[in-house]
Amino acid sequence: MEKTLFEKIWDAHIVVEKKNGPSLIYIDRHLVHEVTSPQAFDGLRMNNRKVRRPDLTIATMDHNVPTNNRTLPILDQTSAIQIQTLEKNCNDFGIQLFDINSPNQGIVHVIGPQLGITLPGSTIVCGDSHTSTHGAFGALAFGIGTSEVEHVLASQTLWLEKPIPFEIRVEGKRKNPHAVTAKDIILSIIKNIGTSGGNGTVIEYRGDGISDLSMEQRMTICNMSIEAGARAGLIAPDEKTFEYLRGRKYTPKNYESLVDYWRDNLKTDSDAKFEKKYTLHIDDIVPQVSWGTNPGMTCDVTESIPSPEEYSKGDQNQKRGAEKALEYMALKPGTPITEIKIDRVFIGSCTNARLEDLIEASKVVKGKKISSYVRAMVVPGSQMVKKQAEELGLDKIFTDADFEWRDAGCSMCLGMNPDILSPGERCASTSNRNFEGRQGTGGRTHLVSPVMAAAAAIAGHFVDVREMDLN
Amino acid sequence: MKGNVIKYARDNIDTDVIIPGQYLKVHDYAELATHAMEGLDPNFHSKVKEGDFILSGRNFGCGSSREHAPIALSHSGIKAVLALSFARIFYRNAVDGAFLLPIEIDQDAYCDISEGDEIDIDIHANQIKNLTKNKTYTMKPFSEIIGKIIEAGGLFKYKPY
Repeated sequence: MEKTLFEKIWDAHIVVEKKNGPSLIYIDRHLVHEVTSPQAFDGLRMNNRKVRRPDLTIATMDHNVPTNNRTLPILDQTSAIQIQTLEKNCNDFGIQLFDINSPNQGIVHVIGPQLGITLPGSTIVCGDSHTSTHGAFGALAFGIGTSEVEHVLASQTLWLEKPIPFEIRVEGKRKNPHAVTAKDIILSIIKNIGTSGGNGTVIEYRGDGISDLSMEQRMTICNMSIEAGARAGLIAPDEKTFEYLRGRKYTPKNYESLVDYWRDNLKTDSDAKFEKKYTLHIDDIVPQVSWGTNPGMTCDVTESIPSPEEYSKGDQNQKRGAEKALEYMALKPGTPITEIKIDRVFIGSCTNARLEDLIEASKVVKGKKISSYVRAMVVPGSQMVKKQAEELGLDKIFTDADFEWRDAGCSMCLGMNPDILSPGERCASTSNRNFEGRQGTGGRTHLVSPVMAAAAAIAGHFVDVREMDLN
Repeated sequence: MKGNVIKYARDNIDTDVIIPGQYLKVHDYAELATHAMEGLDPNFHSKVKEGDFILSGRNFGCGSSREHAPIALSHSGIKAVLALSFARIFYRNAVDGAFLLPIEIDQDAYCDISEGDEIDIDIHANQIKNLTKNKTYTMKPFSEIIGKIIEAGGLFKYKPY
């Protein structure tokens, strides 16, 4: 039978399959961080269980680590306890940990691929919804809750119902790929299919518009699959994938023979059936800016804030949602996006804090200063990204422009460490969620690409970055 | 299972309003409960009673994988969330830890049931009775595995064989 890539990976990991029921799926890699794991380790202790495969389990601390002054003690006691708890748990259960002082520390979804832990054809889980990022390498990767974390620690398996394969084709060529980025592609997709458009599915992104992307750009696409409600998003591996993973710290020794196998097997058969399909043509898409309180509430930078009637197209719940969102965001229908003034800029997160993101943003910033009323920060996705960026002199470009240059972590994406917005502050953010209070109580988030965030920092408001020289 | 309804007539109630990120460091569930729904409804903690249900629209619980979301609701006294649809991770978290029942309802029930209505949920008959309005609605049956995990009392009590 002809199969999709997702079905091939699923079938290869079935330990037990129950007729018309769930399957017990084997997990190849389990990534662990400090926030969603403590209760899972407590559960193991209570039941005298061990971690079944500590060698397949990797931990780091990212969600609530401070991003500056790391030589000082952590002031927030609850954060300090959570970090110490992860250290103790990893020590007690024999799990490799990249701690706050490790050169390999960083956001779990940034370090996985950088270290060669993420591999094509594998199953990867983490107690974090943005685990879908790793799908960029042709892995089946998805977020789980703490009970499931405990289940994987104890058994290296999960009981799962099989999702539906969903094909999203991205066709065409962007006219200005420096200004119209992978972030603008995925925001366009979510705007069109909605925040629950992918519920119950695993998305496979296909087409020229995807194969043209670099690995880091593909990660941005797969990262936000969860914002469309999908369990996972993946992209068939190609030569770019194999090249990216070659020679990394944990790349397997028999890598070339694995590549031969992956090249022949990890692709969707030509007659395989997708139960759901959507196509985005990208020839004419423009930079995107979110205006509301979910990632589907997004429009072109050339547009104005829609009225709740325009946005909802007759759906009462959507209309009410848009009214609430505009009230929270303090925005009026009809305001041009380029007239929205911002207070803060955050370039960071597992969506957009990789080296390429920082290089692209730095082109906008070079030789300029941020607006006098804006506070802006760059939080590299990992300490490795930070080091690579510093070798290229990017830190100097950003700090010369008065950006803050920080250490790696999730930071202002979710407001668990001191990097938060004050009530009422408006932020151009390269992160993934514009939910109410996400970046701090009362904070207002606009999701944008790194280039747009950088341009907004300089101008003090959103601008059509297609009009800038970004080459 | 009888209780009164707290209704949020909107879609996409996300995990960050159910329990904001700053509280993910809180390990005491009673304290966590005092911050439930804080982002959306600052009065939630004072009005919720043991045994209440939440009723909402599409894609309830979208966003983060934080199990703190169903835990915070459960420890506030919420026994079930009735919604037009759920985000997957919230749904599994609710069931895996036996925190609360995620119940999928249809437009009829969603539109008809009002804030404060007393309802009676029968998961074996897949039926919801509105005792205030004297009406009956159907709920979407649980899938086989979800039904069995619920019956067992959580993922770790579920015995597949």
